[in-house]
Amino acid sequence: MEFELFNNLALGFGVAFTFQNLLYAFIGCLLGTLIGVLPGVGPVATIAMLLPATYALPPVAALIMLGGIYYGAQYGGSTTAILVNLPGESSSVVTVIDGYQMARKGRAGPALAAAGMGSFFAGCVGTLILAAFAAPLTEVAFKFGPAEYFSLMVLGLIGAVVLASGSLLKAVAMIILGLLLGLVGTDVNSGVARYSFDIPELTDGIGFIVIAMGVFGYGEIIANLSHPEDKREVFTSNITHIYPSKEDFKRMVPAVLRGTALGSMLGILPGGGALLSAFAAYSIEKKTKLKPGEVPFGQGNIRGVAAPEAANNAGAQTSFIPLLTLGIPPNPVMALMVGAMTIHNIQPGPQVMTSNPELFWGLIASMWIGNLMLIVLNLPLIGIWIKLLSVPYRWLFPAIVLFCAVGVYSTNNNTWDVWMVAMFGVIGYGFIKLGVEPAPLLLGLILGPMMEENLRRALLLSRGDWSVLVTRPLSAGLLAAALLLLIIVTLPSIKSKREEAFVED
Amino acid sequence: MKFKTLLGLLAVGLSLSVSAQTWPAKPVRLVVPFPAGGATDILSRALSQELAKKLGQSIVVDNKPGAGGTIGALAGAQAAPDGYTLLLTTSSTHSIGPAINPRMPYNAEADFTPIVYVASSPQVILVPMTSPAKNLREFIDYARKNPGRLNYASSGNGTISNLSTENFKAQSGTFLVHIPYRGTGLSIADLISGKVDVLFDSVVSGMPHVRDGKLRALAVTSPKRSALAPELPAVSELLPGFESVTWFGVYGPRGLPPEIVARVNQAVNAALAEPDLKERFARLGAETTGGTPQAFAAVVKAESVKWKKVITERKITAD
Repeated sequence: MEFELFNNLALGFGVAFTFQNLLYAFIGCLLGTLIGVLPGVGPVATIAMLLPATYALPPVAALIMLGGIYYGAQYGGSTTAILVNLPGESSSVVTVIDGYQMARKGRAGPALAAAGMGSFFAGCVGTLILAAFAAPLTEVAFKFGPAEYFSLMVLGLIGAVVLASGSLLKAVAMIILGLLLGLVGTDVNSGVARYSFDIPELTDGIGFIVIAMGVFGYGEIIANLSHPEDKREVFTSNITHIYPSKEDFKRMVPAVLRGTALGSMLGILPGGGALLSAFAAYSIEKKTKLKPGEVPFGQGNIRGVAAPEAANNAGAQTSFIPLLTLGIPPNPVMALMVGAMTIHNIQPGPQVMTSNPELFWGLIASMWIGNLMLIVLNLPLIGIWIKLLSVPYRWLFPAIVLFCAVGVYSTNNNTWDVWMVAMFGVIGYGFIKLGVEPAPLLLGLILGPMMEENLRRALLLSRGDWSVLVTRPLSAGLLAAALLLLIIVTLPSIKSKREEAFVED
Repeated sequence: MKFKTLLGLLAVGLSLSVSAQTWPAKPVRLVVPFPAGGATDILSRALSQELAKKLGQSIVVDNKPGAGGTIGALAGAQAAPDGYTLLLTTSSTHSIGPAINPRMPYNAEADFTPIVYVASSPQVILVPMTSPAKNLREFIDYARKNPGRLNYASSGNGTISNLSTENFKAQSGTFLVHIPYRGTGLSIADLISGKVDVLFDSVVSGMPHVRDGKLRALAVTSPKRSALAPELPAVSELLPGFESVTWFGVYGPRGLPPEIVARVNQAVNAALAEPDLKERFARLGAETTGGTPQAFAAVVKAESVKWKKVITERKITAD
């Protein structure tokens, strides 16, 4: 087993370590970072834009370049999440919470470094797990049926309550609002378009990107512009240091380890596992006790950046397992990668490993190289990204508005989405005025439809017998964990402590 | 608004008078109503590369996904009929959609000019390795002995995999319970582990699991045995007349000049004759077809009638 692993990795690195392929990895990372760092242009939009550029390359080079673009875009997305409060994809929503607060306090540098280093470490671990255990781990995914997915989502949703730093009532209200927004779109069971008002665009539901950009990005801009100019400056100009301090490292390391472990585990589950990992990692960090002198969560705690970024990246790596063994793309970015592979005559699925070993292991090796390239490229760039923050707001905000519009338009080539972002911008401003946190809303929006689908599927399979949810051991265990979490959240003593700790300034 | 329409008409009129002889004088936009990276997109890009060579002009693929293809198809219908905007679409926007949804924003017959039938893609009937059925005959017997106990997965209500299975149920006299999924990805995981009993899936997503020994394929839904999976019998060998394929075809907007229709038809047929393209289509689970515009219109017509019948008889609704 181990011997085989080293053989395989050697084969992969042999393929990836040619001058030409390293060059493609570098170009991919650079392009991905440059485009991904534009506010509002997330990984999906970046890859969709750059995909045609790889059509003409030989297959291995194309995949290596795409891998570079993917990591670059993802890191670029985290950069905008931290610097300008814009999550480029669902997994960076939690990075926004503490990352943006760190940036506001002049600690954008440590936040960016924590995200980069956390991702790199998690990426390395994830790659090793992928290389060593891809085949046996597939069996885990088979244990998960509709009932188990439903119970996992319930657990995730209750975990979402922990995400919010304000009042419990507001957090629950936002989750419910998210669930309601998630109802819009075509019901998969009956084919009925719900709340679509005969608008074809609404039959696909309201996109995550649209709501995230509107509520986080545009909402924040409107709120900023509502202040008089002299008060508008959001970022402190006295940046103490660019790289994390020794103290920061001490806090980051355990958080990165926890995030990596969690991400590697959840990433194996197709259909939402990798996505949940960032949220779950943040919830766990928030539940661990604060050390004396540590900044509370929601106000710029470095653990709140490092853990979810690590989890997200580890999850992204291990989510290749269901992709490569079952052909199930775990997220929209991976779905694009599948398309790219198909163009190059590689059919993702169980046969890639055996029929195309040099390509498979070349891809794995190039993922690791992409990760490395990224950290080499980006650590020196942090200084430049921070300089961007000193651009006067009257120049910065029109640029953000414009790039968001471009990014949203380019995913579907439809102006409808741009109008929706504008509308959710106004709603986001309302949220800021009301003092509610939008992160639980987004989790409700993502989990709601998946929960409904899996519940109905589980009940269809059991012919309407609700007891499947508790007679299947895995499902029962997840529900018990959810119940436990609920008790912890609602217990009066803990509740009062929670409010004391996370009261807003 | 009115002024804009007038200007638009004027522009169309002007371009029409010269376009028929000189077409294509500039790049042609090929609207694909499905997202980048999907099977239809990849097929379109393969075709457009060859087509560009035949026409001596580049083809720009424009993905306009949304609402099951309705949004992109509408964009194709509303384009100026000057030959610079064409639409590559499938059964779902022109045969199944109009049959199941009474409120389509376009008329699939009147608002388009059919140009050419590009390819067809059959499905395979898949069962888990643990299934007692080793072939289609055994599966039908097994299902008849257990009415209402077996589950079938589909990629959603009103999709071709749903309609195809319903048609199979009607013709084989079986009763399987419908378990809809969003796309076939997760349904394959549930099929492999035996949580559902059967799935009608495209050749391209289903066959790799069969070749890997994780699923068993019983039959293919093309009218005859398919070159894509020559080892499999056709369903029609047991249920005469059974056929279920997804078609891919090129349309122009209503009123496209016949000269342009003929040029595009000729060029696409020439492109489809290239062995390289045939092979690339086969990898996507599609067989090249081709033929005259009239033949294409007849295929679409027959398909629409067939699915309409299935939808009415099996009482499938999306409303």
